[in-house]
Amino acid sequence: MRLAKKIALLLLVILIAIQFIQPARNKSGQVLPTDILRTVPVSPAVRALLKTGCYDCHSNNTNYPWYANVQPIGWILNGHIQKGKAELNFSEFGSYTVRRQKSKMKSIESQVNDNGMPLASYTWIHKNARLSKENKVLIIDWVTKTNEAISTKQ
Amino acid sequence: MGLAVMVIALTACNNSNTKEEKKTNDTANTAAMAAPVTGGSSVKDVVEHYLHIKNALTKDDGKEAANGGKALADVFGKFDQSSLTAEQKKTFTDIQADAKEHAEHISVNAEKIAHQREHFATLSKDVYDLVKSLGGGQTLYNDFCPMYNNNKGATWLSETKDIKNPYLGKAMPTCGNVKETIQ
Repeated sequence: MRLAKKIALLLLVILIAIQFIQPARNKSGQVLPTDILRTVPVSPAVRALLKTGCYDCHSNNTNYPWYANVQPIGWILNGHIQKGKAELNFSEFGSYTVRRQKSKMKSIESQVNDNGMPLASYTWIHKNARLSKENKVLIIDWVTKTNEAISTKQ
Repeated sequence: MGLAVMVIALTACNNSNTKEEKKTNDTANTAAMAAPVTGGSSVKDVVEHYLHIKNALTKDDGKEAANGGKALADVFGKFDQSSLTAEQKKTFTDIQADAKEHAEHISVNAEKIAHQREHFATLSKDVYDLVKSLGGGQTLYNDFCPMYNNNKGATWLSETKDIKNPYLGKAMPTCGNVKETIQ
């Protein structure tokens, strides 16, 4: 019994200690000229979908929830953000080559079609990021149009 | 007691032997791989590993496709560009950034063959452009499957004239047709 108490106390101390290790915030606070919103035409409806469903992990500006301050949750979020940005960063979309832009657009389409993105663990908490059937059609139409626009730019 | 010491000595001896052997093997392998084209890889290697992925997908073998993906990503990473013209270098750099990513995705999604195929579709376009610009070193057929991706269709490169479909795999192995022969 006394041992259990000691262990519990130790865990509590560790939990408190790790609260002081906060990862750097993914918040540049500015919209880069390379942002997809400045690179290709995006309708207000699609723009809203991207902002609520994608930008938290796929841009330089995350809208952090309060529990990001609680470790180790904040660390897990940070890992997701780093991985998401490496894969596709909407803030830097304009700096990608035409080939890569088209390829990313195609991947957006298939991820949305296959329900791969937004991640289930994300929409479980962010209910407003769930994509309805209509939302998906909106995004896929936008992808098709954008890909045509990118091709003619070349 | 004496026996125990002997056994230990023997095992130790064996261990060092295998280690050494392995080491020699590794060096031999690297040497053999690095031998052609001044240290780096060439279009020939790209085509070889691309076809490796393609053939695995025709057999619905995601694990083998993943192996091919890993090898292809490696090859793109250490490509020897010294023999390329300025124009070819530009094309290559453009293709490399994209194709390497697709190869990596294929390599880490052994359990998700549908996802591998999505990346394979874009990768095929990349390798096609590469071969058209730099030459493929062998006769290749650019094949087209009209049914894949909700009848949007997709192309792939093959080393044989016979159709073996990597998108539909064993379900529809002969779906598709040769669009172009690349000499």
